Amino acid sequence: MAEAVESPRVARGWSRGSPRPFGALAWALPPVVALALFFLYPLALVVRQSFRPDTGGTSLRPYADVFASEGFRHALWTTVWLAPASTAGCLVLGFLLALVIAFVPFPGAKAVARFIDVYLSFPSFLITLALLFVYGGTGIVGSFQFLTTPWGVLLAEVTYFTPFVMRPLLAAFAQLDTAQLEAAGSLGARAPRIVRQVILPEALPALAAGGSLVLVLCLNEFGIVLFTGAKGVTTLPTLVYGKAILESDYPGACAVAVVNVLISVGLYGLYRVVSRRAGA
Amino acid sequence: MGIRFDSVTVAYDGNVVLDSLDLTVEPGEVMALLGPSGSGKTTALRAVAGFARPASGRVYLGGEDVTDLPPYRRGIGMVVQSYALFPHLRVDENVAFGLRARRTPKDEVRRRVTEALELTGMSGYARRHPRELSGGQQQRVAIARALAIRPRVLLLDEPLSALDTRLRSGMLAELARLHRELPEVSMLYVTHDQVEALTLADRIAVMDTARLRACGTPKELYRAPADAFTASFVGGANLVPVTVTAQGASFAGTELELDTAGVVAGARATLCVRPHLVGLGEGPNRLVGTVREIQWRGATHRLYVEVDGHTVMADVRELKDPPGYGDQVTLSFEPEDAVLLPAGVSHG
Amino acid sequence: MLVHSRKARWAVWAVFLVLFLPLFALPLLVVLGASAATHWSGALPSGPTLDHYRAATRGEALQALTTSLVTAVAASLLALTAGTWAALAGAALTKRHRRVLDALFVLPVAVPSVVVGLAVLVAFSQPPLLLNGTRWIVITAHTVLVTAFAHQSVSAALTRLDPAYEQAAASLGARPARVLFRVRLPLLLPSLTAAAGLCFALSMGELSATMMLYPPDWTPLPVLVYAATDRGALFTGSAAAVVLMAATLLVLFAVSRVRTRASYR
Repeated sequence: MAEAVESPRVARGWSRGSPRPFGALAWALPPVVALALFFLYPLALVVRQSFRPDTGGTSLRPYADVFASEGFRHALWTTVWLAPASTAGCLVLGFLLALVIAFVPFPGAKAVARFIDVYLSFPSFLITLALLFVYGGTGIVGSFQFLTTPWGVLLAEVTYFTPFVMRPLLAAFAQLDTAQLEAAGSLGARAPRIVRQVILPEALPALAAGGSLVLVLCLNEFGIVLFTGAKGVTTLPTLVYGKAILESDYPGACAVAVVNVLISVGLYGLYRVVSRRAGA
Repeated sequence: MGIRFDSVTVAYDGNVVLDSLDLTVEPGEVMALLGPSGSGKTTALRAVAGFARPASGRVYLGGEDVTDLPPYRRGIGMVVQSYALFPHLRVDENVAFGLRARRTPKDEVRRRVTEALELTGMSGYARRHPRELSGGQQQRVAIARALAIRPRVLLLDEPLSALDTRLRSGMLAELARLHRELPEVSMLYVTHDQVEALTLADRIAVMDTARLRACGTPKELYRAPADAFTASFVGGANLVPVTVTAQGASFAGTELELDTAGVVAGARATLCVRPHLVGLGEGPNRLVGTVREIQWRGATHRLYVEVDGHTVMADVRELKDPPGYGDQVTLSFEPEDAVLLPAGVSHG
Repeated sequence: MLVHSRKARWAVWAVFLVLFLPLFALPLLVVLGASAATHWSGALPSGPTLDHYRAATRGEALQALTTSLVTAVAASLLALTAGTWAALAGAALTKRHRRVLDALFVLPVAVPSVVVGLAVLVAFSQPPLLLNGTRWIVITAHTVLVTAFAHQSVSAALTRLDPAYEQAAASLGARPARVLFRVRLPLLLPSLTAAAGLCFALSMGELSATMMLYPPDWTPLPVLVYAATDRGALFTGSAAAVVLMAATLLVLFAVSRVRTRASYR
C-alpha cells in the first residue's frame, strides 16, 4: 500500500505527457469506489429488482405488465414528445434573448444576465407554483384548465429551462470577436445575414451543449409535472414515483426506471459521442 | 556545477522533439540554446528540469545522474517566459516558496528572501502581489525566486520574450551583472534571439529541427560558422553557391580570391560573407549587380543587390547620395572576411 | 452594434421585454405577491398579510428549513470532496482512462433524479448498509446527484490551469503534496467555491429524489412546499418557497464574497 501511495506522487511530478499509469490509477480508485457503492450498485439493484416480480422468481413479468398498461404507454408518449418540444422552445427563445442581451445591449442588460444566473439556482417547481396562480383554478387569467394539460407543462419547462441555454450562449457570445461583426457590417451584410452567417456558426457548440443538457433535464423533470397536480399529465419520472410510493409496486417502478434510464443515458451518450466528433 | 547531456532523445507521441543531444555546460558557464521554434531547445531545458522525460540517454548535474530524479529533487532554479509567479502569494512569499518547501528555519528564510530581493533590486516590493507589478518587475521576482534556493543551475526559458524592446536590453544587462555576482552558477539560457545569445552567453549551442547544429563561443560561431544555418541564424549572412578553384572560388563568372585551405578545387561550396563586411565600390573581390532595394537604417544603408540571380546584402555607412533602384553598382569584400561552407540550402 | 437604426433597436427591445417579463419576471413576482396576500381573485393579490411568513418561519417550516440547510451543506461538502478528488486524479490519468472516469462521473446527470432516489432507496433499505428512515439516506441521494456537477466544474477549471505554476513549484523543490495544497488548490479556490455554490443551490431545491425517500423526521423545505400546495394552501406554500429562495440566495451571496476575496488576493 505504501508503494501505491508513493508512486503517483512521483508520477505527478513528471510532465503531463508521461504519467505513470499505475500510481495514477490508484489515486483514481477511492472516488470511483465511492461512486460505485453509492450510485452504480444501487442502480444495479434497480435493474435486478425489475426482473423480480412480487410473486417471486426471476422473470420478465414486471416489464410485460408495465408495457401492457395504458398508463405506461401514455406516459412514455408524453415524455418522448414533451422533452424535444420543450428543448426546441428553449433553444429558439434562448437564442433570441441571448442575442439581444449580447448584441443589442440596453441599459440593464448586465443586470438581466446576472438575473439569469440567479434564476438557475431556483428549484423548478417554483415556476409551476407561480403558474398555478396565473392559470390555475382561481387564477388571474381565469380558470380554464390550461395547466392540467401537457401544454401547461410545456410552458413551464420552456420558462424554467431557457436560462440553461442562455448561459452557455452568453459565454460564447462574449468570446466572439466584435471585429468580425463590424467587418461583416462594413461589407454590407444586414443584421439577419450577420446572425445567420457569423453568429449562428459560432454559437452552434454552445447551442448543442445547452440543448442536450436541457433535453436530458426535460426527460427527467419531475417537480414541474408533480406540481401541476394534474392526473392527466404523467411522464416516466412521475410514473416511477407513483408506482413506487403511491402503489408500492417496486418491481413495476424499477422496470419503468430502467426504461427511463435507457432513454436518457442513451440520448446523453449519443450527444457526447456526436459532440466529440464534431468539436474536439 | 555543470550540466551534461549524454545523447538525450525526447519523443512525444512518437514525434522526436530532441534527437540524441550531446552537450556539456561547464560549471559557472552561461550556455545559450539558440534556435527557431520547434528546434528542441526548450525540450532540452525541460529535460534538465525533469519535466520532459528522455526516451533514451542520460542527464547529469555535476556528475550525478539525475535522469530518474523527480523535478523537486534536482535543486535547479527555473525562470519561464510567463514567469509563473503564484498569483495568490505576495512577492516575499513567492520568493520564500522554495525555501519553505525545504523546511528552512524561519530566520534563514527571512535573510535569504531579503538577500534575493536586494540582488534583483526588488526590496521595495516585498509586500505586493504579482498582479500589482509591471512585466519587468515580475521578471525580477521570478529570478529572485529561482535564486533564493541557491540553485546549482539556473534554467532560463525565453525569459525576456514577454518584455518590450527597451526593457529587454535593460534586463539583459541585469542578467549579465547577476552572472558576474554569482560566478559559480551555471546558466542554461533558451532563446530564439541571437542578440540575447551573443550578448550573454559564454558559448552558444545552435539548434534546428531537434538537433544540435553547432556549438562554440559567440566569436567562433560568428567568425567561422560551421554551416549555412548557423551562419544565417547567428548574425545574418550572405550565402551564395560557388565553385572552388585553385586560387579561390568562381561565382557568376567572376573569380574571387579566398582562403581555400582544406577544400578541393572543383568542389561546390557556399560562400558566406557578413553584410557589414561588404562595401560599395572597388576592392579586391568585386561583384557587379543591380540595386533591387534600399533601406535606410539611420546609421547605415542596407543595399539588396541582385548578382546573377542571387541577392547580396551590404550594410554600408549612411550614404550622402545613395544609388537608385535599378542602378548598376559594384560591391567588394576582403578575402579574409569570407568563409567557405559546405554546399547546402540556406535557411536564411 | 448589430442593429443600427434607433427605431429598429427600440423594436427589438420591445420584443425582448414582451418575451422576458411574462416568462421570467412574472413567475417570481407572482410567488412573491402571493406569499404576502390572503386572496388572489382579480389581477392583483389582495388582503396584505405577513401571516404566511410567520407560519413559514416557525415550527414545522423552520425545522424543514434547517433540514434543507444541513442537507445542502453536508451534500455539497461531500460532493465537492469527491468531485475534486476525482477531477485531480483524472488529470493525472492517460487520456483513455480519463475518458472512462469522466463518463462515470457524468452519469448521475443523465440518470433521472427520481431513479437515483429509487435506486438509493432500494439499495439502502437492506443490509449491509441500512440507511432507510435516517437523514443519511437523503444526504446520500443529494450527494450522488450533485457530485457530477462538482466534478465537471472542477475538471474544467483544472484544464484551464496553466501547468507552468505546478512546474515552477516542483522546480523550487516542492513535493507533489505541497504543490497540491499550496499552489493548485489555492489557484482553484475560485472554481471550488463556485462549484460549492452550484451544489448547494441544486441540493436546496432538490425535490424528485427527496420525494422518494425522505423520512418523516427529516423533511426538507421543498417537500413542505409541495405538501402545502397539494392540500390547496397555495399562499402558505408561496411564503415557504420565498423563504427557500431567500436562504439559497443568502448563502450564494456569502459564497461569492469568499470567491471575490480569493480571486483578488
